[in-house]
Amino acid sequence: MAAMGEVNADVDEAEMLALVGHRFPGGTRRIEHWENWLLTDCTGFDQLPDELVHPIALFHVPIQGCGMSIAELFALGRVEGAGSVGLDGYDWEYFRPLREDIEYRVEGQVTEVERLQTPSGKPFDRFVFVIEMYEGDDLAARVTNHWRLRRAAR
Amino acid sequence: MTVEVGTEIPPWIMEAVDAQRMKTMAAILRDPYPIHWDRTETANIGLGERTVNQGPLNLSYIANMLMAWQGPACVRRLQVKFTTPVFDDDSVTARGVVTAVDDVDGERRATCEIRLDRDGEDVVVGMAVVAVSSQEGA
Repeated sequence: MAAMGEVNADVDEAEMLALVGHRFPGGTRRIEHWENWLLTDCTGFDQLPDELVHPIALFHVPIQGCGMSIAELFALGRVEGAGSVGLDGYDWEYFRPLREDIEYRVEGQVTEVERLQTPSGKPFDRFVFVIEMYEGDDLAARVTNHWRLRRAAR
Repeated sequence: MTVEVGTEIPPWIMEAVDAQRMKTMAAILRDPYPIHWDRTETANIGLGERTVNQGPLNLSYIANMLMAWQGPACVRRLQVKFTTPVFDDDSVTARGVVTAVDDVDGERRATCEIRLDRDGEDVVVGMAVVAVSSQEGA
């Protein structure tokens, strides 16, 4: 295991590619008022009316709702410590406004892994996962997150 | 005000990114990544002695801009790339411009080019789709 502050040790490319299709446990998630209040406060915006959830909840709620944590995603991607993970991008789709105290059913999986190099030759894995949140049978939101898992040079 | 191609969204400014808010955010997210709450860790990887703002918080300023413009339930899609880190005490401004207006599923939607900039440098870029009010879209 890499110590904090180190970029993680080299990880076999085949092991990473084998993660494509890996399904997260799945589960349910309810966003409580206190959580939404603090989340909204962190963004510097006024509290929202009608129990609406701040759109930025689509980062952690889907991850936690599908039975994972950020730490468990790091472990799955074999990264640990400062400097080991970069954020490349998000594609978040809202099919209906999210609201507090609704029980969402959540499921997701790893959809893409690709070993690439930076222009300066440093290896990294492009790691993509998709999570969907359902209200009843209706799709409420879908997130596609792109992470960069940095690898030690050979 | 009519929403049409070329309409500029009123900017939303975060005057100073707050390290304490990053700590609260880390707790909400259960995010173990130390660069968001331990300045020693950011220094250890050569990023200076300021903590790195969470990507979701950077994106939240853009969401705030959109909600201030078209209401708290307006966001339909956020598609972004993060180009460079934002640090505590940075001042950042969310900006956007409408690139298309369409009727989808019974509502008028604006597709917008969005960005977050720090002193003129883009730190987040992408696109958003927003439901626009019937009064504005009429």
